[in-house]
Amino acid sequence: MKGLFKSKPKTPAEVVRQTRDLLVYADMNWNSRETKREEKMAELSKLIRELKSILYGNSESEPVTEACAQLTQEFFKENTLRLLIICLPKLNLEARKDATQVVANLQRQQVHSRLIASDHLEANKDLMDILISGYENMDIALHYGAMLRECIRHQSIARYVLESDHMKKFFDYIQLPNFDIASDASATFKELLTRHKSTVAEFLTKNYDWFFAEFNSKLLESANYITRRQAIKLLGDMLLDRSNSSVMMRYVSSKDNLRIMMNLLRESSKNIQIEAFHVFKLFAANQNKPPEIVSILIANRSKLLRFFSDFKMDKENEQFEADKAQVIKEIAALEPRDRP
Amino acid sequence: MGSCMYPVERGAYKLLSEIGSGVSAVVYKAQCLPLNSTVVAIKVIDLERSRPNLLDDVRRETKAMSLLSHPNILTAHCSFTVGRHLWVVMPYMAAGSLHSILSSSFPHGLPEPSIALLLKHTLLALHYLHAQGLLHRDIKASNILLDSNGSVKLADFGVSASIYEPLSSAATFSPFFNDLVGTPYWMAPEVIHSHVGYGFKADIWSFGITALELAHGRPPLSHLPPSKSLVIRITNRFRLNHDDHYHHHQYHYLDDEDAKKKNKKNKKKFSKGFKDMVASCLAQDPSKRPSAEKLLKHPFFKNCKSPDHLVRHVLQGLPVIEERLKESPSSVDGDDDDNNGSGGVTKIRRISGWNFNEDIFGLNPVFPCEKKEDPSPISSSFYSSSFLEGGGNDGDRKRDDHVKVREEENKKDDEIHEEGNDPGLLGWKSRTAETLVPGLISLLNSLSLEKEMVMNVLESCRGEGMGIGDWESKEEEREQRLVDMVGKLQRTVDGLTIQLKGESAKNAALEKELQGLKDKNLT
Repeated sequence: MKGLFKSKPKTPAEVVRQTRDLLVYADMNWNSRETKREEKMAELSKLIRELKSILYGNSESEPVTEACAQLTQEFFKENTLRLLIICLPKLNLEARKDATQVVANLQRQQVHSRLIASDHLEANKDLMDILISGYENMDIALHYGAMLRECIRHQSIARYVLESDHMKKFFDYIQLPNFDIASDASATFKELLTRHKSTVAEFLTKNYDWFFAEFNSKLLESANYITRRQAIKLLGDMLLDRSNSSVMMRYVSSKDNLRIMMNLLRESSKNIQIEAFHVFKLFAANQNKPPEIVSILIANRSKLLRFFSDFKMDKENEQFEADKAQVIKEIAALEPRDRP
Repeated sequence: MGSCMYPVERGAYKLLSEIGSGVSAVVYKAQCLPLNSTVVAIKVIDLERSRPNLLDDVRRETKAMSLLSHPNILTAHCSFTVGRHLWVVMPYMAAGSLHSILSSSFPHGLPEPSIALLLKHTLLALHYLHAQGLLHRDIKASNILLDSNGSVKLADFGVSASIYEPLSSAATFSPFFNDLVGTPYWMAPEVIHSHVGYGFKADIWSFGITALELAHGRPPLSHLPPSKSLVIRITNRFRLNHDDHYHHHQYHYLDDEDAKKKNKKNKKKFSKGFKDMVASCLAQDPSKRPSAEKLLKHPFFKNCKSPDHLVRHVLQGLPVIEERLKESPSSVDGDDDDNNGSGGVTKIRRISGWNFNEDIFGLNPVFPCEKKEDPSPISSSFYSSSFLEGGGNDGDRKRDDHVKVREEENKKDDEIHEEGNDPGLLGWKSRTAETLVPGLISLLNSLSLEKEMVMNVLESCRGEGMGIGDWESKEEEREQRLVDMVGKLQRTVDGLTIQLKGESAKNAALEKELQGLKDKNLT
């Protein structure tokens, strides 16, 4: 009966404090004696697993709200999060995954009905810089990426990332040759550009010029199929969101943008064609088309009408058919306006 | 992580031969040129295939694979895109899947010591996955791979799910999922009735079915002809009276002499421990099934042989994968589903009751025994009325804990159905491989088609009423109304089931109280 002699179970706060101590050790003593270090790292992995089972529960028990609150409070009292993030590359795979899940869970824990993680991150925004740079290190990219996506659930943190220089780097990250990492980066990119409506609208308005220049040239005109496919889908999601209506009006008034859409409509990929159509229809439906848009549409009228007459979804879709009919009607009725 | 070693560009690999294919993926044997031409397997997935959430599935699969590390789990070296295809580079498992081993060399199942070893390693993988909060959701012989040195790896995370990563952003952590995934024969009842939600115990069920598959050479019930009408046929009352579908199968398909010998042999073949282990996995009530961890402690898995045993007893003399593929050119498994384009499918009957029969070491399905199902060829009008009688019957609904019926119709099917009623005409063995898989695929297809049709009806109900044009459209409309009805009934049934559960819980509480009062009275 080993259990009888077990010491009193640790409180959640104690588990956090011990974890922090070992993280400090791991951070400082990376060169100390091999066997001792291994022991400590094993102990650290065990503690992180313990944190996880307090937060998520385990096969025997559900998580207890009070224990979670205690843990959360202690965790954000000092710099445990920073230590955990910095030491992550030194952990083994299982401990990394546990740590990622712990950090993810903590973002949603409320203490006295406050998300204290948000306050903590506000005061430590540079942690986002560390997490984003993870996309440049294959070993930790997926772990940092998952943590990052949880952190940008907080609006103020998402705003920080959007307004930082990191935004520019995402255009490269989502085209990394490694599929898992590129996918993770595009998931984060999409989250940043769709989650917090008002923040996104503000960002797009303020940064319209460089953002869409990059978006068009690097993503929509990328040589990479998967990049184009994801980008056109994301563009549709952004432009069709009501909160971005002024950005949308601006986008559909540019003939360069129209040209890109028409090229995407000609792709051999059905998925890309369909998504491009959802953006193209906005150009056609715009009731205040600039003359240059009108003249492009008129110049290509017969080709477009022929194209749309054969353009079908694999599955019948009423909304799509209605949109298409509308687009055809608009284009057929166009009259040159620059020569009164 | 070994992933750094393998280059992420097409030019570094030389494709040698095709070793498997599904609807939207092909698996090749290949060489990685810069790494001394190491042999690898490359799964080439067409990302342009119609299923809209394929991309998400693929992401989930590759992510799951790259974050796992266990000797019994197949992980990817790396993955990258080539045009509209995704290349997933994996270790080459020279001996192929247990399914292909069964069908090429062990059509009547493997010897028990080998089964114990294979299952133990599979269970170790499952235990690891479950401890990670992951469900595999598609355990079966075709997803268990063997290397030439006897090492066992669980593969294919196309449908796996994580309890830590809820798919919806609603973000409640729940170990239950409501989407329907998996492959029909291996599916647990609570997966089929997905309104109940299911968790890790569904994997345990599939594990039990896989054990039977290894023991007999095929999953239970698979002797039923794998046409689209497959599921209906089991409801044929005549067949239901057979208590043993394995026995039944042999009775019909082999010579009498042979069958008797086989039966005798089969009945003695398996140990008590094995039967007991499988029985525990196949408990009706998921909560009664053991966890993977607990199952590992079962006596059946004590004294397992070393992987060497597999090399000597299973792998020796086995045709190489490419040869096996030539023999049966059908797909490796039914993992991909869309597009068979076989038009208006099908009668679907769901089985939800399964009774494990320890004597015959197989499953007995439970069906609605009084249901009026006429197996004769039927017109669509007949179909509609028979369905309404069946589904609208109150008695049936009450029994619905055991059975759900959903059907649609396809006239062509009836012919196959008729013909198939005389199983003696068909040699089972030769048919297994090439017909089983398409059967499964079409079954899965019909399920998704059915779902789609219900969705369509719901959508058109929201919109304006349908124009009543020519005759055909009327028929279509009627068919759709039926599907709609099916949906409604299904929901009603679900509602009633939930109510029933609530009532029985109440009942139990009251009985307990009563007992308490009685006890008090006595003392």
